[in-house]
Amino acid sequence: METAKHQSDEDILINGLKSGDQAAFHEAVRLYTPGMLAVARFYLDPSSAEETVQDCWVTVIDAIQKFEGRSGLKTWLHRIVANRAKNHLRKTKREVSSDFSETLDPELADRFAHNGRWATPPGLKSNESAQALMENGALSDCLDQHLAALPETQRSALMLYEAHQHKSDDVCNILDVSASNLRVLLHRARQRIFLMVETFQETGEC
Amino acid sequence: MLMCRDLARIASDYIDGELGTMDRVSVKMHLLMCGHCRTFIGNLRASIDLMKAHSSQQVDEELVHRIDSRIKERLDAQRSRKNDSE
Ligand SMILES: [Zn+2]
Repeated sequence: METAKHQSDEDILINGLKSGDQAAFHEAVRLYTPGMLAVARFYLDPSSAEETVQDCWVTVIDAIQKFEGRSGLKTWLHRIVANRAKNHLRKTKREVSSDFSETLDPELADRFAHNGRWATPPGLKSNESAQALMENGALSDCLDQHLAALPETQRSALMLYEAHQHKSDDVCNILDVSASNLRVLLHRARQRIFLMVETFQETGEC
Repeated sequence: MLMCRDLARIASDYIDGELGTMDRVSVKMHLLMCGHCRTFIGNLRASIDLMKAHSSQQVDEELVHRIDSRIKERLDAQRSRKNDSE
């Protein structure tokens, strides 16, 4: 019965959306907008991305009637955003550029000696849990800063895969990248976060 | 022989279980012998957990408000059209 209960929360929300209930829309907007922005920003500059997400929500009012629930609401919304963002991109003829050739972050790469061993090994291991660490507001702010500084493509991949827990296939589909390129984006982004946490733990500064 | 730098390149694939058997065994062998790489993998895992814990992301309230208003506008317009036709 666990899954039945789990599904019904989303079902109630979907029914609310289908009947044009404003409170349901408010809830859905709060819940899904951050992920939709992550998708849009993969393709577009921040202000076009916001505009695209807003426009998508307006189209959802009608489109939700045709939603059959095969993919789950989140994935469905993310696909709508991706399609709209791609159309926008086509009109402005901008291309998403990304370097998939190097899997090592340059800063991390510098820490190996010529023989391929660590020259500057990783700092001490932290025994605190992620949850405990996140209660450190300074670390949380620092993480925000570093996430914001990531290339859009890396950040989107990281957000969809890690934060919104999409499966790889879905992320590839939504972001139009191959499975191997997704692996590169994820690994590059994670290395940045790793380096940031290390500096923070060693110096107490961001 | 897998070196530390090679391991760093494929560390995410190892963590996510995306490596083939041969590579996975090489990584495991290397980790048995190399404390630095064990720390690296452990810390990379910790960063991933941190990222997940962090991502109870803050919502941009102003943007939510703007979207809410546009939705309300549209819903109101639909409703009044419906009432007119009835
Ligand atoms: Zn090593």
